[in-house]
Amino acid sequence: MTVAELLAIAPLVFVIGLAIALVVVDMIRPHDDRLIGIVAVVGLVVGLEVVLLANGDGTGVFGGAYVRDRLTFFLDLVFLAIALLTILFAPDYLRPRGLPMAEFAATLLFAISGAMLIGGARDLLVLFLGLELLVLPGYMLAGYAKRDGLSTEGAIKYFLLGSFSSAIFLFGLAFTWGYTGSTRVADVAVALQGVTGPGLSAGLAIGLALLTSGVAFKIAAVPFHYWTPDAYQGSPTPVTGYLSVGPKVAAFALILRLFVEALAPLKADWVDAIVILAAITMTLGNLVALTQDNIKRMLAYSSIAHTGYMLVGLAAFAGAPAGSPAAQAGLEGLLFYAAAYTFMNLGAFAVVTALQGRTGVTSQIATFAGLGRRAPLAGVLMTLFLLSLTGIPPTAGFFAKAYVILAAVQAGGWVSVLAVVAVLNAAAAAFYYLRVVVWMYMREAPDDAQPLTDSWPMKAGLAAAALGTVLFGLVPGVIIPTAQAAAQALLP
Amino acid sequence: MSQSLDSYLALSALLFAVGTFGFLARRNAIAMLMSIELMLNAVNLAIVAFGAFVPSLRGDASVIALVVMAVAAAEATVGLAIVIAIYRNRRTPLVDEYTQMRE
Repeated sequence: MTVAELLAIAPLVFVIGLAIALVVVDMIRPHDDRLIGIVAVVGLVVGLEVVLLANGDGTGVFGGAYVRDRLTFFLDLVFLAIALLTILFAPDYLRPRGLPMAEFAATLLFAISGAMLIGGARDLLVLFLGLELLVLPGYMLAGYAKRDGLSTEGAIKYFLLGSFSSAIFLFGLAFTWGYTGSTRVADVAVALQGVTGPGLSAGLAIGLALLTSGVAFKIAAVPFHYWTPDAYQGSPTPVTGYLSVGPKVAAFALILRLFVEALAPLKADWVDAIVILAAITMTLGNLVALTQDNIKRMLAYSSIAHTGYMLVGLAAFAGAPAGSPAAQAGLEGLLFYAAAYTFMNLGAFAVVTALQGRTGVTSQIATFAGLGRRAPLAGVLMTLFLLSLTGIPPTAGFFAKAYVILAAVQAGGWVSVLAVVAVLNAAAAAFYYLRVVVWMYMREAPDDAQPLTDSWPMKAGLAAAALGTVLFGLVPGVIIPTAQAAAQALLP
Repeated sequence: MSQSLDSYLALSALLFAVGTFGFLARRNAIAMLMSIELMLNAVNLAIVAFGAFVPSLRGDASVIALVVMAVAAAEATVGLAIVIAIYRNRRTPLVDEYTQMRE
């Protein structure tokens, strides 16, 4: 292997090494949660440096099965940010409940390594391996509080539907491979040139349908979302935060590598499915979220709605003529949305975690009563994250929604109808996000309200999430060139 | 018919359908896990069939089939661990009795 090739896989190897190092540290100094936290945080910051150093010049590794291009670069930064934020705010939840930190951090990093493998995969089999490496630790994390009935119940539902969808996805992958004759993404795209429409063989059509439904399960698009609310509500809160962002962004990375790169020649065949999925996912996610009284369940349905918004970006790519500015804008919007969503959603979960820092605090929205007065800073931050999730300027969420909606308008045709649906949905979503704000500022706190935790990792995590949410909204230019370069890497 | 790629693919689709039906119809978590294994094996049959009938796929097929087996084993391990964890909490393997969370 040349130096360039070693550098290309360095971030991936580094994260796996860090996960192993955490297990070893725990073996030498058992139950030292503080040490584990320090090693994990310092390691992830170094990991970000490694990603910046490795950059993304398009070096292919293992005969082209893994590539480090600008998209890999962008996604690696997002995945490491997810891991870093989660590990910063997790200890405040885990410690009071006696849940060990070392296994949590190690399992999380193994999952992140799977996500990073997907981000750079240029081979169908590597994509599948990355997907499994991502979801298997995810099932374990969902059931992390193994003596808690809710956690294990969420875990088994997540596991059963997750492996069911993996099997469907794999069947689609096998057919695609069998009929195109290659596992390499680039070769699949070449083999599919000109077979779209009536030229599509039955085998490929079955493969495409199975791949679409398998992926729809993974991103929790309606009607393949049934596992989401239970898995999110049951999981320990920091795990819910991770699950709502990590596997979702990684599944979109899978879509980018598979549908946008390998199956792009067939896009006329899958664009309709994506348009319909996007419309019903946004609408149903938001409508059901309106009726939730449990904050984690509400944020679960809200995350389903956000899947819908991200799908609008994908639909804009697929609906616009190949090579048009709208096609690229759709992909840029999707990537920007993924980054913005990472910070605002993990921020909201960080506040929920701070609130649940004492055992016995439930996940009911009523626990937010009077938060604006008894913990002014947490109240302000939660309001910021909720406004961003709603899409109010000048937050990251506003800019992200504007990006995908404008791309959909430019794409024209059926896709521009999606823009209207998205705007209407954003208005409906304001009701349930602002309901939490109403609880925080217009209700009296109960007399037995527990104080919030305020450890330094929690503060650092909240600060980082708030910084991202504000910065991407006020100065989107800090990230847009990176997203543009990543989108260009996908287009021929 | 009996010696063509299509007949093997049809058999694999049938096996996959049996697995899917089992997953949707059975209420026992272990039986659902077994149905998923059946689905993965159906995929493997399709992969091996492609390898046997299409000469250019022969090399890839055996590697992919081995990887799928390894992944299936890993999945079963995690799945059984979760089933044991929930059995200790609930004393039942029947998924329709796992109803602590409702709308």
